[in-house]
Amino acid sequence: MRILFLGTASGAGKTTLAAMYCRHLARTGVDAVPFKASNLSTRSHRTADGGEIGIGQLIQARAAGAEPAADMNPVLLRPRGGGVVETVVRGVPADGPVGREALGDIVAAAYDRLAAAHEAVVCEGSGSPAELNLIDRDLANVGLLRMRPMPAVLVGDIERGGVFAAVYGTWLLMPADVRPLLKGFVINRFRGDPSILGDGIERIEELTGMPCLGVMPFTEVALPEEDSCRDAPDGTATDTAWTEELDRLLDAAAANGFDPGRIDAIARG
Amino acid sequence: MRGGNIEGKVREEIDRGWLGPDRGCAYYPCHFEGQDCTFCYCPFYPCNDPELGEVLRSRRGGEIWNCTYCLFIHRTEVCRYVMSEIERMGIADPDDPRLAAILPRAKERFFRKGKALMVLGATSDAGKSVTVAAICRILHDRGFLVAPFKSQNMSLDSRVAPDGAEIAMIQVLQAQAAGLRNPDRHMNPILLKPRGDTVSQVIVEGEPFGEYDVRRYYEEFVPVHGEGIVRRNLEFLKERYDFVIMEGAGSPAEINIYDSDIANMKAARIADADCLLVVNTEWGGSFAYAVGTVGLIPAEDRRRIKGIVLNNVRGGTDGLREGAAELERLTGIPVIGIIPHADVRLPSEDSGSFRDAGGCAEDGEGRTVVAVVRFPRISHFSDCDPLAADGAAIRYVDRPEDLDGCDAVVIPGSQDPFGDLEWMRSTGIADRLAGLRGSVPVLGICGGYQMMGRSLVDRREQPDGGPKTAAGLGFFDCTTVWDDRERVVRQVRGDLPGVGPVSGYEVHAGRTETEEPPLFRLEFFSGSEPEGSKREEEMLFGTYLHGCLDKPAFRGYLMSFIADGRPPAGPVSGRDHAERVEEGIAALAAVFEAGFDLDRLLGILGAGE
Repeated sequence: MRILFLGTASGAGKTTLAAMYCRHLARTGVDAVPFKASNLSTRSHRTADGGEIGIGQLIQARAAGAEPAADMNPVLLRPRGGGVVETVVRGVPADGPVGREALGDIVAAAYDRLAAAHEAVVCEGSGSPAELNLIDRDLANVGLLRMRPMPAVLVGDIERGGVFAAVYGTWLLMPADVRPLLKGFVINRFRGDPSILGDGIERIEELTGMPCLGVMPFTEVALPEEDSCRDAPDGTATDTAWTEELDRLLDAAAANGFDPGRIDAIARG
Repeated sequence: MRGGNIEGKVREEIDRGWLGPDRGCAYYPCHFEGQDCTFCYCPFYPCNDPELGEVLRSRRGGEIWNCTYCLFIHRTEVCRYVMSEIERMGIADPDDPRLAAILPRAKERFFRKGKALMVLGATSDAGKSVTVAAICRILHDRGFLVAPFKSQNMSLDSRVAPDGAEIAMIQVLQAQAAGLRNPDRHMNPILLKPRGDTVSQVIVEGEPFGEYDVRRYYEEFVPVHGEGIVRRNLEFLKERYDFVIMEGAGSPAEINIYDSDIANMKAARIADADCLLVVNTEWGGSFAYAVGTVGLIPAEDRRRIKGIVLNNVRGGTDGLREGAAELERLTGIPVIGIIPHADVRLPSEDSGSFRDAGGCAEDGEGRTVVAVVRFPRISHFSDCDPLAADGAAIRYVDRPEDLDGCDAVVIPGSQDPFGDLEWMRSTGIADRLAGLRGSVPVLGICGGYQMMGRSLVDRREQPDGGPKTAAGLGFFDCTTVWDDRERVVRQVRGDLPGVGPVSGYEVHAGRTETEEPPLFRLEFFSGSEPEGSKREEEMLFGTYLHGCLDKPAFRGYLMSFIADGRPPAGPVSGRDHAERVEEGIAALAAVFEAGFDLDRLLGILGAGE
């Protein structure tokens, strides 16, 4: 099983949704691991095998019941201030810039090791996959899909408004070779009665051929964000607290009619 | 008929000849920056021209010609023409019948209906409001008369306009950007003030209209009233201004409510407006948002979109040019602006900043920490902006422990004082405040002031019969009562005795009877009146005045208590917050002016050289 969660923007909810899905797999007895090809983050975690991974992958690993490992986030981009970004490869800061092809090889090798050793790899994209000025250089979204084709699910955040445009526009901008890999979309952070969305969802399904896999209710999420101003990832929240939080989110989503089994079917396809 | 006094004034004006803007006048500009003051008193009054004014019935049943909103006679070209005609015909007497005949000729030459432009956003917080403000300023700087407009605004931050209307704060700010002195009810004819998760109080043309939940609003209010309201107010503004710069709401591509959405494309259709689409690039995905928005709007409306603006670009705009060219190719719509992130402090439209920053939102970097209780129904949250601009850190708190270490507390306005008071108790914030009493200054504004009293009593009809009562925090010996009296909505000015002038505005339904010494004295035509409550020995202050911190006197007074636990020794001077806002608008407009392809923008507006 493998799947890639893509977001229509930063903060659309990819990390949380991937963590929920990791937790769902763990609950159903699937040996799963998270993966994010490259991660721009100021907050990272040292793994026992000498890697350095983003906080998001740490949460997802714990949700999956897996030991956090370097391969889960093989490339970490760390802002050093003044526009300088340091490239950390499997826990080791690189001396200067690393070529795109070399990074691609690192990512593909890390993914392959995870896929060979585990039953499921739950991947998370980075930012939006539809940045017209970056598509050909993008490693974590279109780049990963081209190197290792796998089914993908698009996550859109409705809280900011314009979610239909975001999902439709992202689908439209996907290169033709990659677009067929988009198997569905999820509307995240919805407040109120989902029936009001009915017509809009049907229209997007018609236009794109992608089914809507769920409307996630808005809830305050008590997980550390990758770049949040509340400074407390380590210590304040235990593994159990994270797991309980993900269980709560899964239950709330289920109450809104979300069936993670539909994502299982896509991940197996 | 006009009185003899006005006739004398008009005679003086005719004798004096063309004047232009009278910047030395104490009342300048009474209408707009750059106005022509040749005819302070209109020589055509009452013109009875329905395009310039309207008949009002006075309380005694008489009719009176009202042309409060007319700006025609303050346009330079009109004044020059009218005066040249007066001179050419040798008119010296205000009663000369030839005088009235000049007006139709002036109208034929200079009266044009304005053009409307709509600024759409791909999302909420796309930067529509600031784009409208910047375009208003750019056009104002080029000598045009410009009005902002937002048909429907959902916001808990309102202002009282000089005409007594309650409209959204942001339209007042945009009017200021347009150089207008008198924002009015037409600029935001529908204001939605959320009361609960799904219910809003609907304010129409500045007056309360009713309460609606989402479904009833779209099924009953919009089809029956909404379109007519939007149409008549747009028409009104187009008759008076060269340009009406309209702001959309949220995204125009919410296809599930497209046909009942009166804030976006329907308003553009009513106004026959061209549109710009603004996309915030900060969160990524901006190209997809732009392409998707354009793609989902039906073709007959899509043709109105004449330009795309990529807003809030961080880290240099060059990286986006390649993508922008591709976006133009895909949509057939030019990208007419790539606007860098503007590091400008202006009041923001909604509580977006709270949403993004989470519970620990702290605004400003100063060492003085002012805690603001973050009610679920907080209103007028820009009241504390002046303190932040002075260098205080504003900390919005929703947990009692966040009050620790603060230097002062503000209990702000609330759209639901009973509910928010209950919330303050259930979170433990009320208990923590009681513990802080006397050790740091506590200021309650409007709803916050009401909550500081002994009790709150709502005598209006309740669902369960009897009156609704709640015990307040008990900081003041005062009681607030809601009954059938009309709500208080007014701009006020007065002073903080011994310290300096204050001004502000009131919007409230409840009335407070207090046994405490007053905080302010307000000046009215009828005389002066006490306002608010204070207990200086305990550093407790309460007032109904939103905006009370805008002028330096009360700010300095509060800071003196923070620093020394006592009032200032004498008058306090400092900057008026309005000046800072004015600087912010100018800086914002400069960023936009540099980021816009101005020829294209002015070309779309038909305002090119």
